[in-house]
Amino acid sequence: MLQYAAIVLIMLGLYGLLTQRNIIKIIISLNILEIGVNLFIVSVGFVTDGIAPIFTSVNNSSNLLFVDPLPQALVLTAIVIGVGTTALGLALAKNIYQKYGTFDINEMGEE
Amino acid sequence: MSAILLIVVPLLTAFISILFKKAAPYMLLIVSFASVVALGYMPLEVITIGGFNAPYGINLILDSYSLIGLYIVNSLFFLVVALNCVKYKKMSTILLVSLAGLNGLLLTGDLFNLFVFIEVSGIAAYLITTTNKKPLATFNYLVAGTVGSSLYLLGLIILYAMFGTLNMADMANEIAISGASASATAFPFLLMFIGLGVEAKLLPLNSWTKGILGSSNKLTGPIIAAVYAAAIGFVFGRLITDLFLINISEVLEIVIIIIVIASIVAGEAMAFSSKKVRDILLFSSIAQAGLVVLVFFYGFVGWGVFLIIANAAGKFILFVVANHASDELGTDEVSSLQGLFVNNKVVGVAFTVASLSAMGMPLFLGFVVKMNILGDLFSEGNLLIPGIILVTSLVEGIYFVRLLIKLWYKEDNLPEVKYDFTLKYVVVVLALLLMVFGVYTAPIENEADNLNTISFVEGGDL
Repeated sequence: MLQYAAIVLIMLGLYGLLTQRNIIKIIISLNILEIGVNLFIVSVGFVTDGIAPIFTSVNNSSNLLFVDPLPQALVLTAIVIGVGTTALGLALAKNIYQKYGTFDINEMGEE
Repeated sequence: MSAILLIVVPLLTAFISILFKKAAPYMLLIVSFASVVALGYMPLEVITIGGFNAPYGINLILDSYSLIGLYIVNSLFFLVVALNCVKYKKMSTILLVSLAGLNGLLLTGDLFNLFVFIEVSGIAAYLITTTNKKPLATFNYLVAGTVGSSLYLLGLIILYAMFGTLNMADMANEIAISGASASATAFPFLLMFIGLGVEAKLLPLNSWTKGILGSSNKLTGPIIAAVYAAAIGFVFGRLITDLFLINISEVLEIVIIIIVIASIVAGEAMAFSSKKVRDILLFSSIAQAGLVVLVFFYGFVGWGVFLIIANAAGKFILFVVANHASDELGTDEVSSLQGLFVNNKVVGVAFTVASLSAMGMPLFLGFVVKMNILGDLFSEGNLLIPGIILVTSLVEGIYFVRLLIKLWYKEDNLPEVKYDFTLKYVVVVLALLLMVFGVYTAPIENEADNLNTISFVEGGDL
């Protein structure tokens, strides 16, 4: 079920990227897209009735049903990268605003 | 010496260079030169990171394929840096990060690690392009690049869910063993192809290219059009031959071939109709990117590699010369650059050699590569693709010759552009190399045959 939610978010992000003409809204759409992808990654590792993939003094048998830890590690990296891109995008948005005095691409009079 | 130093040292120096801002350009120069030299002392090997053997851990593969890629990317990177480190001091830290990212792209044998390096080198590229002073174009590049790499990530996660591995070679094995139908893997492959296609400038995905390269300067032009293009070309080659061709559906094959041919045809047509030097060069590099992917797609690894090298060296010369002129004159209209080479004969000859090589004239490296590719395609009984390559080469020839005539001949009112000694030296040496290997073809043909036999078995073929 989670996969469907993730795909809806990805599509929503793409729709926003294609329709919005405001720099800040484009960055938000980009974030929605990234969250969708991240959610999808986490959902791939989900196992019904699985427990957290940590060996403890209580859970120390390899027969236990763990969820897949790898997607969680991947999503951590992907989130960090996403934050970096967003920060850079916002810095560029500030530059664009200083240069054109607007966030709207239509009003900038440039391709 | 371990190849991991190629990633670690630039990254570490990047952090240190933040503390010593004054010394940063020298650090950049030393590190980028040292990477080229150090390549000679690196044995071909597979490096396991963190003690986890592949396929569980990440491994870096230094085989003869990635070694050639590292040589060309690192040497061109050093040349770009040597020409620009005085003028663009502020970019030193970012250039160090991008060097680490590019080396990582070429070395990694892991799909997710590849995504990380795409993003590292991508973010560095966005920052480098801010020196164009066109924030909107850079923003477009950022959005296109981020969407592309998100799609790549989505594709690789679907593959992970299907086959349970992220190691490239292990993934190829798993796909072959599992007997999954070609249509099952077509969707993730398509997503990954789109993701890389954004960076490689393939046609429907390259809306950022004109904004970035059309207003490029002496730093961004050569680094995006030559260095990054070469690195992404090598990544494409690795992924296509290692992964996509293992299990490709007919529909996806048709889609990819249409995309690639559209890039070639439209790129050459746009270059033909452009009136600005940088536009001509950037559209021609779109066409060349398409050709590179096409060659890999037909499995000619060796000639694909040399096509990338010929393109990268040629585009380096063309963009350095054109960008220097447009930086000085503030315009790059062909009409206002007319007669540029009358007083700059040395640079003019190098520019001419590079453009003749790009269009595939005999005596230059481009000719050797194109002729062998055409020969291989013909001997496979393929007539459509060679026909398209020949026609587009003719178009390429027309617009390059037209450009050269404009740049060489004019009586009075010559544009005043001074080229410094370093730049002249660099472009002349590269042009000489293009000529030498265009005549003395034996080592190239040997190496190409050698590369053709590489099979990307687990951990690379050493």
